[in-house]
Amino acid sequence: MVTVTEDTQLRRRVDDMLRAVQPSAVPLDAIVRRGNGIRLRRAGAAVVGVGLAGILAVTTLALDVGRQPAAPAAAPTDPAAPGETIATGTADGHAWRLAVQDIADPGSRCVPAITVNGTDADPVYPDPGYSAAVALGAVLPGIAFGFIQLPADIRGIIVNGRRYVPAVTVAACGYRYHVAGFAYSLAQATRITAANPPPGEPTDFAMPDLASKPPATEVTPQSAGVWVNMGRVSGAAASGTLASAGIPEKGWSIAVTFGTGGDCYEFSASSSLGSAQTGACGPVSTPDGPETIMALPLGLPGDATAYAVQVSPRTARLKAFLSNGSSELATPRVVDGRKYAAFVVPNALRLSRLNWLDAAGAVIASTTALPRYGYVQFQP
Amino acid sequence: MTEPRDELAAAHDAISYDEDFSAFAASRWPGLVRLAFGLTGDRWTAEDIAQTALAKAYVAWRRVSGAADPDAYLRRILVNTSNRRFRKRRVTEQPGDLPELAVEGPADLVGERAALVAALRQLPARQRAVIVLRYWDDLTDVQIAAALGCSPGTVRSQLSRGLAALRANPAFGEGDEW
Repeated sequence: MVTVTEDTQLRRRVDDMLRAVQPSAVPLDAIVRRGNGIRLRRAGAAVVGVGLAGILAVTTLALDVGRQPAAPAAAPTDPAAPGETIATGTADGHAWRLAVQDIADPGSRCVPAITVNGTDADPVYPDPGYSAAVALGAVLPGIAFGFIQLPADIRGIIVNGRRYVPAVTVAACGYRYHVAGFAYSLAQATRITAANPPPGEPTDFAMPDLASKPPATEVTPQSAGVWVNMGRVSGAAASGTLASAGIPEKGWSIAVTFGTGGDCYEFSASSSLGSAQTGACGPVSTPDGPETIMALPLGLPGDATAYAVQVSPRTARLKAFLSNGSSELATPRVVDGRKYAAFVVPNALRLSRLNWLDAAGAVIASTTALPRYGYVQFQP
Repeated sequence: MTEPRDELAAAHDAISYDEDFSAFAASRWPGLVRLAFGLTGDRWTAEDIAQTALAKAYVAWRRVSGAADPDAYLRRILVNTSNRRFRKRRVTEQPGDLPELAVEGPADLVGERAALVAALRQLPARQRAVIVLRYWDDLTDVQIAAALGCSPGTVRSQLSRGLAALRANPAFGEGDEW
């Protein structure tokens, strides 16, 4: 039985406890993206090009009415840019370039990938029929980039029944790719057909539906820069543990799996309270491109946030400064020819600064623009 | 072939859909996060659960907005999301480290908040939910039963057990007046 006094006091204490929580600003974009992800999962992720644009896409359509889909130009090769050019063009006044290039650190096993403007890579291996697409979010809202690997006898594709995009043959890491690359508007469903389909062969190529793309994870709704792939063969995945402490039954670890889904991190923790894990995929960086700083917060039992960064080849250490004045040093580990550094910050503290150190201990880059969850990209 | 006029009409519908939902989400967000914090004791988990609940509401927005009590609908989504998350992570109901509370205050007040969070964390999920929905959202037994998908009788028994456990919890201040 609860007395009136008890009832009043408990009400006051619960009220005080919860009013002390100051929520961050309502993340409307993330909520809508996550909603569209739920819708996509319910509809079946394999459904393509059948009007699954969803509410977000229709909204984008509303904003984009009258805008013509971005039109890629023919593909002049820029000898100064890394890799071989697949296509270039401008979209909403921004120049873009799709290319195939090696994204491993110098001296490591070659890893072929298709990149947008030299970054946001998609590891890829020859496989006719394989397609992929990516959107860059706020960098180029409403615009997506895609490519299709074509059989050798297909000379190009038609986008939405009116735009011809020629296929080119490019090479990286000893592989040759017969591929058509293009930019397109997310405001409408995109239909891709072969320019010269052989008799009896299907004329349509399936493309991922980015407008309904699910969020990277529950805690990292961003998906900008992460390619969505369709095909029978995916790029070879590699995985490795970046940091760990304790024993399997009582400890934590941060691991990465690198493949066509991006750089996918997982933070696992176990203790007497139980076990839990959280994970997220971020854009794949290139040696010269911006680095992705990923934050993976975990409640019980870890009560900490894991940070993982795919760092540039010359990074020897990553130094993390915390809100209580202390610091942590993380030593990069190499996974499939690429360097990653990872560390953990207790949830009672905040990561306030990251410094990149070279082999001599000199600071080569620094940032305070750090995520509390999800990822940001930073050019050291 | 879709006519441009149809596309515009569809676009206007979508804008209205999104504007209505945006206004609803913005107004409910703080309360949802706080409710989720009461259910989980973890600030970031709370924001994630609130976000997931609103995303689900977005998907079913026409049904949510047309419901007699959209808040009740949303509350149920949130509670289910929270329960599912805990089941998924196989987290046993044990006390953990005290969470950070964002607002500073007199030391004894902060300590009091932390003690309550710790004490709530030690309760089984359903007892914790009943207490938070009663003492934060001011819901009746029937409303709590609707949110939890159980009977009002179960709510009363869970509330009674939860309060007894709180009283007996040294972290909460055994013998103290609430």
